[in-house]
Amino acid sequence: MKIVEISHVSRIYKVGDHEQKALDDVSLELENGKTIVILGPSGAGKSTLLNMLGGLDSPTSGTIKIKGKDISTLNADQLAEYRASGVGFIFQAYNLIPTLTVLENVALVKEIAKDPLSSHDMLREVGLGEHMYKFPVELSGGEQQRVSIARALTKNPDILLCDEPTGALDTETGVMVLKLLQSMAREHGKTTIIVTHNQNIAKMADVVVHVKNGKIKEVINNDKPLAVEEVEW
Amino acid sequence: MLFKKLIRTIGRYKAQFISMIIMVALGVGIFLGFNIEWKTLEVNVAKAFEDTGFADYRIVNELGFSEEDLKKVEQIEGVDAASRFLSVNVPRKDDEDIVMLTVSENIAVSGFKVLEGTAYDPEDTEGLWISERYAKQNGLSVGDTYTMVYKNIEFSGPIRGLVKSGEYMICLVEKAQMMPDHEKNGFVYVSPAYIKAKIGMTFYPQIHVRSSLPKETMIERAEAALGKSYMIVDKELVTSYSEAHGEMTEGKTMAALLPVIFLAIAILTMITTMHRISISEKTQIGTLKSLGFKDRRILRHYAAYGLFISLCGTILGVAVGLGVGYFFVNPNSVMGDYLDMEHWELHMPLWSIAVVIAINVVLVLATLYSVSSMMKGTAAEALQPYAPKAMRRMWIEKKKVWKNLSFATKWNVRDILRHKSRSFMTLFGIVSCMLILIASFGINDTLNSYIDDFFENSICYKTKIVLDTETAGDADVEALIDRYEADWTSSMGIQIGENTYAMEIYRLEHDYFRFVKNHGEHIDLPDDGVLICERIAKKEGLKVGDTFTVSVYGTTEKYELKVADIAKSIAESVMMSDTYAEKLGVQYRVTELFTNETEIEESPIISSTQTKQALLDTFKSFSELMNVMIVMLVFISVLLGIVVLYNLGIMSYAERYRELATLKVVGFKDRHISRILIDQNLWMTILGVLLGIPAGIGVLKILLVMLASDYELTLTISWLTYVIATALTFGVSFIVGVMVSRKNKNIDMVEALKVAE
Repeated sequence: MKIVEISHVSRIYKVGDHEQKALDDVSLELENGKTIVILGPSGAGKSTLLNMLGGLDSPTSGTIKIKGKDISTLNADQLAEYRASGVGFIFQAYNLIPTLTVLENVALVKEIAKDPLSSHDMLREVGLGEHMYKFPVELSGGEQQRVSIARALTKNPDILLCDEPTGALDTETGVMVLKLLQSMAREHGKTTIIVTHNQNIAKMADVVVHVKNGKIKEVINNDKPLAVEEVEW
Repeated sequence: MLFKKLIRTIGRYKAQFISMIIMVALGVGIFLGFNIEWKTLEVNVAKAFEDTGFADYRIVNELGFSEEDLKKVEQIEGVDAASRFLSVNVPRKDDEDIVMLTVSENIAVSGFKVLEGTAYDPEDTEGLWISERYAKQNGLSVGDTYTMVYKNIEFSGPIRGLVKSGEYMICLVEKAQMMPDHEKNGFVYVSPAYIKAKIGMTFYPQIHVRSSLPKETMIERAEAALGKSYMIVDKELVTSYSEAHGEMTEGKTMAALLPVIFLAIAILTMITTMHRISISEKTQIGTLKSLGFKDRRILRHYAAYGLFISLCGTILGVAVGLGVGYFFVNPNSVMGDYLDMEHWELHMPLWSIAVVIAINVVLVLATLYSVSSMMKGTAAEALQPYAPKAMRRMWIEKKKVWKNLSFATKWNVRDILRHKSRSFMTLFGIVSCMLILIASFGINDTLNSYIDDFFENSICYKTKIVLDTETAGDADVEALIDRYEADWTSSMGIQIGENTYAMEIYRLEHDYFRFVKNHGEHIDLPDDGVLICERIAKKEGLKVGDTFTVSVYGTTEKYELKVADIAKSIAESVMMSDTYAEKLGVQYRVTELFTNETEIEESPIISSTQTKQALLDTFKSFSELMNVMIVMLVFISVLLGIVVLYNLGIMSYAERYRELATLKVVGFKDRHISRILIDQNLWMTILGVLLGIPAGIGVLKILLVMLASDYELTLTISWLTYVIATALTFGVSFIVGVMVSRKNKNIDMVEALKVAE
């Protein structure tokens, strides 16, 4: 089943009198339950594409359908509802709220998600059962990213969107986080879209999308994706 | 190049810069305005007194002074000048107006200044010099004929000049009158020759003296010179002098209290805001440092931010100060109605300029302090983004209730506790706003209650008849009492120890006058003791049941009196019934009658009449003064609340921008996020209101003691005051909350979350 259908999407940013095309007539279809890696150099438009999928930004032209519903025409409130239940975000910078404890950071999405999971269970699943009552600042980078994964999954979304999830971590911690991400996504049957410039991460993907200069250059279906521990880092 | 950076940074933080400039302008403006008010009065009142030879002492003798007496006084060592003086309330012919007909033998003492017309001529047997204010209000000009009637004799003549006099700077014809009525009351000077020509003789019950001698010396020397003791009143007890100086003292008190709040807020806002700005500028400070800029150079650059704000604020503040000063003291203001004087040029105390300079220095130092903390360490350390203090668990988090709170509540509680200085400033702003509102509305409530006590509960007559004690015989007075079914009073000067007061004897058969305690509670005049006013009780340390001795002025009579109760009174007086007076054998002459009749026929024994309505009318102007003041204070406090809360709200919003963006990304709607922000504002407002109420009551208490100890005011705050003050404070908080939270819509989620933590 197709979960994402992107059709002729362009995104133009105006910088002063200048127009900058971040995405240029992009079309893409993605299957449900897969791990998709979007690869490309800096400024290629991969994060813009991820933001469009997450309802953080809207296309200048074209349509984006998630589970058959066009999100490119939604208003601010409808987009917020979509973000509340449809997608979970994992950022390079974790973006946790420093004044909330680990548990509170995860539990806060229960106030808005339609069908949330247990935040306690999710934190135990990501291995933070012991750290629930700590503040983010008391955790390591890897632990903070695990909180971010737990928060994203607690919403019980259809899609997980990960923007350079290991960008701020050392290799060892990064591998641990990816492993967790892969296992959690599979266990919960989530479509996972990872934006990265790290070629190695692509080896664990079902689909690899190459983006350059705002265009999709190539979509490669990987019949034999590797487990995280099989990848040479 | 750094200048360009300065300009652009100001543009970037324009909301904060504008708020701080407004705060500094308000602080400096209120400070200067209130100081300009009293200084302007001080200089111009002094000039008015000097120009018209205002007397330092008044020697009083109801039987009058001879020329010989005057010579003796003039010869006292230390007396610069003296003049026999007469002032009587006289009605205008065929009119209700009452003017004070005045003669000063030596016009250099208690005289006047001619503003229009011809100079004073002591030999002029026809002309009048009339109050310029009264003349203008009544369309009288130089050359017009003006006529008064006194003891059935017409005093008429052409107006020679329109004048001002320090003696009548506050032109009140009645002791219960609080504000002058320039349309109905004024003063008219005539020469001694005029009086002699009209009635064939002159009579002067006062000698006015210009002298810098201390009171005790003056009394001693006057007694030695005149051979017996007379009542000697120094200028401190003369309404024009004491009330004008009272206004200055009030101005000084207000200048010492109110601006402190504004200046404190301006300085604290500056410190808090500059600290926040320097946090966001930390990486740039590090960049400049790493480029090789010396610390001193960087500090100078950032000092320019503080200097820019303080200079702009000061320039605006001076304009605000002059505006506030002019608003309070100009000839067309309520103060202009109260004080009848020629000059109204604004004056500023010189030291206030030094204070303003010091404020600027403090503001720049506050900026330097904030920036220097961001420059500590090596260039590499300075380059690191600011690391906020780590969160620590609070005691409340260990309580069960904490677990049940929503995330928004927890978030707000922690945000308040994490940013203590910002939270403190917010609270300070709300408390100040509430405090000023409670205090200003409370002044109004207190005065209204005072007016109610005296004019609704105490004065129950329609007309008061003032008798001419020189001509009124006992039989005539009795006839008048019967004719008008009147109650009456007799007033005389007494001394308790060294202090001078009035003693009033009453016969009240018709309840035309009643005595009240706090909140209008009535007290009957007893037949076995006296009522004393609160001020006498306080000054003399008297309480109910005590006995004290009074001596009647100008006589050797002494009486032992028992305090039956303590009442409120406009004048400082001891009040007794005629029955008690007769028991004690007090000698008295009836001075005033109270009646419900409104048509009073002219009579040689009636000096003047006054209706209750006329008295109430004088309060209208007084209420207007209060209302103007209250409107201004309410405007200032609302403005203060908006500026402080908006500035801090913007700061809080900027600090939480990334967190708000995160909430938006995870799916929180704009209105949900707005509610969280407004909630925090409302909590702070609830706390601010709860603290502001007792603070407002406290400030009002201080104000009543410092400003109005001459009146027996009872602190009164109506429930409406609490409601309005609370509603206004919440309104301000809510409006600012909405203004800030509307910015949520503009949060750029992508940009906000891009930056690395």
